[in-house]
Amino acid sequence: MSKVPLIFKDYQENIVLALCVIISCIFIFNNDSNFIKNTKSKSVDTFSFLYTPFNWLDNQLFLNKKLEVLSSENLKLNLENQVLKVHETENKRYREFLNFKKRDNYIFMGADVISKGVSSNMSSVVIDRGLEDFVKINSPVLSSRGVVGKITSVSANSSEVQLISDVNFRLSVKIVPDEVEGILRWIRDDICEINEIKKISDIEIGDVVVTSNLSIYFPPNLPIGEVISIFEKSDSSNRTVRLKLFSDLTTLNQLFIVNEGI
Amino acid sequence: MGFYFKFFPLAVIIQLIFSELLTFNGYQANIMLLFVILSSMPLGNATQSTFLGFFVGIFTDFILFSGTYVGVSSLVFSICGFWASKVSYNFAFRNFDFYWISLVHLGIAIYSLFRYDYFFFNNFGLFIANWFFVTYFTCFIGLVIVKVFSLKEVLIDA
Repeated sequence: MSKVPLIFKDYQENIVLALCVIISCIFIFNNDSNFIKNTKSKSVDTFSFLYTPFNWLDNQLFLNKKLEVLSSENLKLNLENQVLKVHETENKRYREFLNFKKRDNYIFMGADVISKGVSSNMSSVVIDRGLEDFVKINSPVLSSRGVVGKITSVSANSSEVQLISDVNFRLSVKIVPDEVEGILRWIRDDICEINEIKKISDIEIGDVVVTSNLSIYFPPNLPIGEVISIFEKSDSSNRTVRLKLFSDLTTLNQLFIVNEGI
Repeated sequence: MGFYFKFFPLAVIIQLIFSELLTFNGYQANIMLLFVILSSMPLGNATQSTFLGFFVGIFTDFILFSGTYVGVSSLVFSICGFWASKVSYNFAFRNFDFYWISLVHLGIAIYSLFRYDYFFFNNFGLFIANWFFVTYFTCFIGLVIVKVFSLKEVLIDA
């Protein structure tokens, strides 16, 4: 019996290491438990002040560049808007005429990115909107250019956004104007892939990829990216399409959460 | 031990600077791992360094937010803290850079293994890219810090 403390003393270092490894593994394999999720949400909420000065600095450093980009985008969008308004009136008239169901309108709620996470090759970010702002799990998240991800967990004042660049992220999309549908997954950097698209489909480089009508959480026609290459395998009746995302995932600062609205 | 607590707030600040402002193509240097390895070397007590590594890892996972799995940082930091404190004076004197760089390789390899639902098994190319990009980015920053602040002498004499 008296040998037990001696053995513990001899192997103390190894026992402590084994204990730490076991506890860490328990955490890793229980990441989906409510305890871990709640603790993580609460700690991010409590310590979000740590990121504030760095976010402020980030915004200040790139303010001029952002203004320049926004001004040119604003001009481009204004011109596009004039043309689209004419089409919208025409489209509304035809939809009423053909008795189509009225489309839902969506509210875009702005949010600042408060943390990009310390792990490299980021797959999620934290934003400063939470339950108090009526953010819901699985709500789509956009940048000013297009879809970037969806909400995966919400706490009182912050939410975690799973980005398209997460290997587990999948999204039902369609390629316009041909309306070919497929499932999108991230490959690397800002490149994504849509597999198993029929060879007979008429897709061209430069076609725009938007969210499809089949997604449960994402409303249709939100912009995602544009087609940059099309691969065909001789032994398959399918083709693979690669697209470049409109959003730059490495410089996310302000995001928009899509809420179903009026 | 004093070294550990003295430089912990500084490590957190540098990590936040690298996470929020100095990412390279989405990759970030893991300053907390560097901190755990370098601070554990002069401790000479594996039990203490393993515990400290574990708690710094828990802090990183919950508060600095590591994106995916809670527990990965505590696992990596415990292992690296343990091995970093096992180094003998003579070995550290002769192979200081080699030793901490090897531990950075080991730590980032475990990180990459757990990220993205076990990268290693579903996309080996991306696992290797992730491992090497982050490791060399971290090692580059580590080398700059070690040389500029003459950390070899500071840590060996501590």
